[in-house]
Amino acid sequence: MSRSNAVDDQADRGLRFDQLFNSHYDAIYRYCARRLGGSDAEDAAADVFAVAWRHLDQMPPGDRARAWLYGVAYRVVANQYRSRRRRTGLTARLQTLAGVGGDDADRDPTTGSDVELVLMALDEISRTDRELLRLSTWDGLTRAEIGYVLGIKENAVDQRLHRARARLKTQFELLVTQSRRSEPREASA
Amino acid sequence: MNELLERADPAMGLEIDPARLRARVDERIGISVRLRPVVRGRRRPWIVAAASFVAVITVAVPLLLRQEPPSVYAPSLGGIADVPGVQTVVPLASGGVQTMAVDGDTIWVMTALQNLLQKVSIASGEIETTYTIDGYVEGVVVGGGYVWLSSYDNGGESLRFDPTSGTVDLTIPVGGRAAWFGDSLWVSDDQSRLYRISVDGEVLSTGAGEIKGQGLGYLWVNDPVTGLISSVGEDETHGEIVIPTETGLVTTDGWGVREVTEAGGDLWLMDGDYPFGTNLSRFDPDTGELSSFGSLTFGLLDMIEYDGSLWVTSHTDHLLIRVDPDSGVVSRFPMPGKAGGLLIADDSLWVTLYHPGALVRVDPNAELVAAGEIVADDWNRYPHRLLCTGSVDAQGPTVILESYDWIDYGSWSVVQARLSNQGYLVCANGYLEGETTPEQRAADLDEALVEAGISGPYVLVAAGDGVHTTRLFANGRDDIAGVVLVDPIPIGFPALADSLLNGSGRPPWDDLGPAVSNGLDDFGDQPLVVIRADPEAVFLSRRFIDGVGRETAEALNTAWEDGLDFYAGLSTNVRSVLAEGTGQHMVIWDRPELVADQVLDVLGTTNTG
Repeated sequence: MSRSNAVDDQADRGLRFDQLFNSHYDAIYRYCARRLGGSDAEDAAADVFAVAWRHLDQMPPGDRARAWLYGVAYRVVANQYRSRRRRTGLTARLQTLAGVGGDDADRDPTTGSDVELVLMALDEISRTDRELLRLSTWDGLTRAEIGYVLGIKENAVDQRLHRARARLKTQFELLVTQSRRSEPREASA
Repeated sequence: MNELLERADPAMGLEIDPARLRARVDERIGISVRLRPVVRGRRRPWIVAAASFVAVITVAVPLLLRQEPPSVYAPSLGGIADVPGVQTVVPLASGGVQTMAVDGDTIWVMTALQNLLQKVSIASGEIETTYTIDGYVEGVVVGGGYVWLSSYDNGGESLRFDPTSGTVDLTIPVGGRAAWFGDSLWVSDDQSRLYRISVDGEVLSTGAGEIKGQGLGYLWVNDPVTGLISSVGEDETHGEIVIPTETGLVTTDGWGVREVTEAGGDLWLMDGDYPFGTNLSRFDPDTGELSSFGSLTFGLLDMIEYDGSLWVTSHTDHLLIRVDPDSGVVSRFPMPGKAGGLLIADDSLWVTLYHPGALVRVDPNAELVAAGEIVADDWNRYPHRLLCTGSVDAQGPTVILESYDWIDYGSWSVVQARLSNQGYLVCANGYLEGETTPEQRAADLDEALVEAGISGPYVLVAAGDGVHTTRLFANGRDDIAGVVLVDPIPIGFPALADSLLNGSGRPPWDDLGPAVSNGLDDFGDQPLVVIRADPEAVFLSRRFIDGVGRETAEALNTAWEDGLDFYAGLSTNVRSVLAEGTGQHMVIWDRPELVADQVLDVLGTTNTG
């Protein structure tokens, strides 16, 4: 390879990377923010694109690049969880798993709105169920993309999404019942 | 419900600053790297620094010379000696990674964390002397008639150990990863500075680079400026060959390239891709091409050329892996412990098993047991791992090997190989890192089996705390064909031990209550085997009694036996087996053949009805 060809190749890589970043930074940042909160999301998203830069030549073309990036983001976020666990122990872990921010573990089911209750219900179901629902509802990934990110077959995604929704609903209704039981009763005449 | 979940999106309305994010990305990949062409054959003049750049302190440090007793917690190692292909077993301290170097008829082994340097006779396989070294030593190197011990501690320092006098007679304030190359000691520190040091401790030159290994007549370093792996010659020529690792096959930061070695005339690079080291790449010096060899498995640690093959260790999978450079054929052999360092001495391959601590000699001409063909491996569920070996056409129940935090899934490697080779499908369940609850373990196991399309019936085999996961997994299922519990930890025992040992026992899990109460407590008349560790080797051993007092030792033993009686009551079709000759709760390492035979016995029972 001549030196000028090498320089051209590098310039081409730079352009391809710019396109990749511009097309997906928003989605990847939001993915990280939903799971880690704002303070760590930027670091995690930057890590995802740094990995993408290193593997640019292996990147699948077109729309499949999006699923590839989500796959990396899934692992980067998992690594952040582990780092947090090591740093801050069980209490912080519970807060982290609650999603964004650090105060979710303090939610009280007896005072929550429906949105808060559904987030609490989300915390109560299994890690995989939770991720399936987030990828589908919040990140808007297709069945095939979800299957790629989580390493499961596309038809299994359908089946498991169905089960995950049912479990979330059950958990949500349980929390709603708890919440209503604790509401003050009106005085009878 | 879907609409409600959409409204709960925490990223809704989130403002993003793309320029700021892009700046963070560029910080990581480095603009200079992005714009720098990959050029082979570029020569960069070596920076020769004055010796005064790094002062050398010549202070003789007399070493305490003493024989260390073996650890109280050591296993019997009997099971290791029984593994085919393993010829010599040298017990070492457990708990730290061992590095080693050969010096004539001696192997020097340094065990980090334990701060022990041990002199092993190659001929007898005996430890001749044990020295205590003050400091966390990462590496041991032999050269110039000395043993060199290098450490990142205290800002980095290297010790020159005189094997004749048994003393450290020189301390050099430069330390990190070390190599003996040419006639000099080479050390790279945690700032990626590379030093060439004479046998007298004089710093001959300094430059940039992080040592990764040797091969093709060069020392190979990671150049911190370019991020590329490049050569350093004995004449200090730097960058004569630059490996084009930016092709995407190999990463160069983070875990990056961990090891470089020569095999089959090529240079092999062990790549630490995110988030774990898994891959090999090979560099052909004739064509200058770097090609991906692919992923071997997780947790690769060391590699060396021996007997025409490349040998690689995996500490997570407890494997010794042979790669034929010509055919590309990969063979996997189970090791009875976490396989770490590799060394060639006396025409044999030596492997350290850092947990349990042992140095073993492997004869590749002897019949090593194959680890079994991989049927399913859930790489995408990281850090969860379900590693299934055997045959997809296997008859009879699938065997599930359940581990826990201390005994990981790889600890089953010898048992798993033995069962796989008998024609069964065998899956080891566990995690590559981190801790979790029995509930999560059981859920992950269930999901991974569904994903892999592996249905029951199952024979469940659990060691130690794995019993809680197994009971949870079994609850509500009608596809359990049998259970084998290996030295299961009784309910409440960790807390009891913690109280009796005044907090020095292993801390109990945060809360096992739900796992215990939700676990299946009636297996009906399903075959159940409870394998008990030898109490004479555990609580009633002389060392344990001397350590904690007879009353405490007997109380713990009684609680343990009572707990095992509880487990034996889970089925009306139970058999208790005493595993004689075991060490301290390491039955699957000490008596793997006994465990495998008991599982085969249960499988035979289920097959015949």
